Amino acid sequence: MLSRQSLTVVRGGACVVTGANGVGKSSFLHLVAGLVAPDEGQVSIHGLAASSAHPGAFVGAGVRRGLVFQQGGLVANLSALENVALPLRYHADVLGLTEGVIEERARFCLGAVGIEGPQVHVLPGRLSFGIAKRVAFARAMAIEPNYAFFDDPDAGLDHENAGVVHDILTSYRDDPSVTLVLATNHRALIERLGIPVHELVNGRLVRANMETMPPTSLV
Amino acid sequence: MSAWLAGLGREGLATWSGLSSAVALMTRALASGFDGGRAAERAVRRVVLRQIFFTGAQGLPFITATALVLGATMMLQIHVAAPGMPGEIVGKVLATIVLREFAPLVTAIIVASRSGTAIATEIGNMQASLEMLGLASMGIDPSRYVVLPRLVAVVTSVLVLMVYFGMLALVGAFSLAAASGTPDPAAMRAGLADTLALSDLALFLGKGVGCGAIVAVICCHYGMQVKGSITEVPLMTGKAVIRSVLGCVFYNFAATLAYYSAVGTPAAHL
Repeated sequence: MLSRQSLTVVRGGACVVTGANGVGKSSFLHLVAGLVAPDEGQVSIHGLAASSAHPGAFVGAGVRRGLVFQQGGLVANLSALENVALPLRYHADVLGLTEGVIEERARFCLGAVGIEGPQVHVLPGRLSFGIAKRVAFARAMAIEPNYAFFDDPDAGLDHENAGVVHDILTSYRDDPSVTLVLATNHRALIERLGIPVHELVNGRLVRANMETMPPTSLV
Repeated sequence: MSAWLAGLGREGLATWSGLSSAVALMTRALASGFDGGRAAERAVRRVVLRQIFFTGAQGLPFITATALVLGATMMLQIHVAAPGMPGEIVGKVLATIVLREFAPLVTAIIVASRSGTAIATEIGNMQASLEMLGLASMGIDPSRYVVLPRLVAVVTSVLVLMVYFGMLALVGAFSLAAASGTPDPAAMRAGLADTLALSDLALFLGKGVGCGAIVAVICCHYGMQVKGSITEVPLMTGKAVIRSVLGCVFYNFAATLAYYSAVGTPAAHL
């Protein structure tokens, strides 16, 4: 799907990968996030070879990845709150968190994306697409990521919630401790972030020409 | 003929490849048990307990009914096929057939058909809905958080349920004997006690651990084979259950052979 390519995002840097539907943006994002191994070549995060590193080794090495998929990715048999708390509970000793702090932080992150009250105890399968996406966002935020990957972060969200997500992305862009990579072809979001844009065309990354991108009216 | 041979070769290679992947998955899962901190251990333990509850505790009613009826049926067949068989011989037959063969195998088949389908379906759905990638993105190793708890839970449950099954099957058989007045239950008990030895504990443990591991690993392996579409889930679940049952049948036979090679021939033992 991808030809031989080299892309470097410096620590604290940010970039957008765009391209037509089905061109492989999501696969590319999974690759750079170190979730799938490349057939050839290497993906390195924080100096760790992603394909050979054990998932837990990242956290031990100080890599806190926050990732939001285009859809799905939440653990189906855990409630929204348990989903957000899961990475915190699993790495509580590495992150130095107590149960009280975990619960508080999970609720805070859910609140930041507008999920409160009884909704926090609902299983992902019973949540609407937009709410499930916001839960995924809260889960990515909860671990206070220093590497953040977002796949179509505002897809399926209403105007107000898309605005909330854009604000969070902007704060990550401005935070020098966060390396941000996102895949989207939402022009308004790309323009708002004002970060380098790469377009995926026939398996190759090229500098995107914003003039040829279609306008959008969502935000 | 050549096409048939080629097909056989392909099937053999696919089986070998699947077997290697399943063994690699089990090795990864077992090795992952030594990774991570205590918080991760606590999280994994919670999943293990949930899985034991599902596989072990919730499977009890089905195991109870099957064991009682199977034990009684066995006794009925002895009544019909060999009326007047001495109680001591009946006890020996029950020990060899019910305890050494039926208890491990039938328990494993029940667990494969009930929990194995659930495991393969759940993991398949997790693959299709990107839950596995989601876990990995959070630094949670799916081998540890998903596979290891199921492996531990199924092995533990099969071991416990095997013992339970064996006891209830004997209750079924003895109840029928008591109701019909023949053979003499005391003689049956003597035959049973005479046949069972300490080596049976090793056979029991070996069969329980082996069959449990086969069911858990094959079902997890086929669940993991789902790549991206939810339509692959039923296909993989079917393969998982059929192959895990076949695996248990062959393993059970091999373990019985190994047992009698070690302790003496069945005839000598009887």
